[in-house]
Amino acid sequence: MQNPTSVMPLLQVEHVTMAFGGIVAVSDLSLTVQPGEILALMGPNGAGKTTTFHVIAGVHAPTAGTITFDGQDITAMRPDRRCRAGLARTFQITQPFEELSVVENVMVGAINHDLSMAEAREDARRYVDMVGLSERADVLAKGLSTGQRKRLELARAMATRPKLLLMDEVTGGVDMASVPGLIELVKRLRTEGLTIIIIEHNMKVITELADRAIFMNRGARMAEGTPTEIANHPEVVELYLGEEGGHE
Amino acid sequence: MFQPVKPAQWLMVVAAVAAMIAVPLVTRDSYLLHVLILAMIFGIFASAWNLVAGFAGLKTFGHHAFFGIGAYVSALISIKAGLSPWLTIWIGALAATVAGVFIGLPILRIKSMAHVAIVTLGFAEIVRIVISNLQSVTRGELGLWGIRPFEGFDLPGFGTIVFSPADKVPYYYLALVLLLLSVAAIALLMRSRIGLSIIAMRDAEDAAESLGVNLTRKKLQVFAISAFLVGIAGAFYAHYISILTPNAAVGADLMILVIAMALVGGLSTFAGPLVGALILTGLVELLRDLDQFRLLVYGAMIILIVMFLPKGLMTLGPMLKRRFTPSSSS
Repeated sequence: MQNPTSVMPLLQVEHVTMAFGGIVAVSDLSLTVQPGEILALMGPNGAGKTTTFHVIAGVHAPTAGTITFDGQDITAMRPDRRCRAGLARTFQITQPFEELSVVENVMVGAINHDLSMAEAREDARRYVDMVGLSERADVLAKGLSTGQRKRLELARAMATRPKLLLMDEVTGGVDMASVPGLIELVKRLRTEGLTIIIIEHNMKVITELADRAIFMNRGARMAEGTPTEIANHPEVVELYLGEEGGHE
Repeated sequence: MFQPVKPAQWLMVVAAVAAMIAVPLVTRDSYLLHVLILAMIFGIFASAWNLVAGFAGLKTFGHHAFFGIGAYVSALISIKAGLSPWLTIWIGALAATVAGVFIGLPILRIKSMAHVAIVTLGFAEIVRIVISNLQSVTRGELGLWGIRPFEGFDLPGFGTIVFSPADKVPYYYLALVLLLLSVAAIALLMRSRIGLSIIAMRDAEDAAESLGVNLTRKKLQVFAISAFLVGIAGAFYAHYISILTPNAAVGADLMILVIAMALVGGLSTFAGPLVGALILTGLVELLRDLDQFRLLVYGAMIILIVMFLPKGLMTLGPMLKRRFTPSSSS
């Protein structure tokens, strides 16, 4: 699965800088993601992880730098066109379509593939089943718990049949009991050949899922390696011990 | 909304349409028919506004511009070029659509709804002032009169249909046909993939965009369709009433009335704006004797409905059902 010498990376972020007025959220960041890989973005709050996500997903156009996806320059592409090019994402703060049922939420992703409404409904049900929400398929999304909303985000994104999935804190705000289920779910997605970038705080989740991790701090890359290497990286350890040492 | 229509719902629709068809068979009272014709014109207007404001979540307050443009364009072309109203109402509706796209292109890229509201309201006010001051063409505040009525025609089995102020029945059925076509168009649109994308866009814009919804295109589409329908309503109004003044056709009161109709009946439902249009048009007539005090009654009614039935009268049934069934069964 892990193949860092592959000729053609799926995603290539080159020298991206994202500044909001005078605040530089991401500075001169470069990274590549190979097909089939799971890459984790780590780092303390405010490190620029979510901004990096937003730049890749097209929410913000970067101040400088380029983004190449699947051989295509997508730096200035609108989010909806990136979606059709095969790039999907979930939101850190879940954004369900509250007045639509669970299955209809997922249909919004499915209709990109020129399906009729009936076909899209059938297609959407498969993804609803896949994330384990079958029993809630016909309730309005506003009736879902946080964990269920996270699953819905995944089902919706998967229904667009992406090549690359950006997952922003899938386990954030979810009760501990639901975390193993979500990990299993993501593992199953990768066996279908999906490439994934995750933002995650939970180290256990990262070690279980990620092939490689990039540790960000103050908008730049501080360390890169396997999750275990990152966890033992002197600067990372110092940063976290420095933070947590203050509490204990 | 995207589920197959249930037999009970079909029955309701058929019953309502049958009742509307039956009214002129029971009474030919010209005043009652006039009120119902107005209610149907407002029904189209309120349904079309509900399409943008309710279903698509675009808070526009300038739809009376499209009503006025449809009315004046159709009336003026039929007068100046001598064309049949049967043709000019479509030209009026198209002119409203063009105006809708013209104003929609710049504002619908904006994500701030407050700006959309203010710009559309301002646009409508400009349209009103232009019509009011372009006296050489529109006769301004003096009123545009002498608008041609629809030409009569032979309907097999019914003889010759004549549109004249004396007989409201032909107008009644024409309004009913336009209303049914408009509501059917809205329902079909909303149950399609466009409808699904529109609701998604309303509920969570960023998420919809990340799932492949082209926001600007969807907003423009729905805005143009809505402007077209309001334009048709305005054009029909012009040839029915046969006199237009800037205040009657493009006044802000008109927009407020239509918003009230949609809110009272129930935003984001198919039947809500229709029920609201019927109730409020009727109420305007019933309270005519109260003169300006009727605005008080009006205001009180809107406040009560917004307070106790925030989703409109269409939710009254389900709410009563919940209240009067034992809680264990829910």
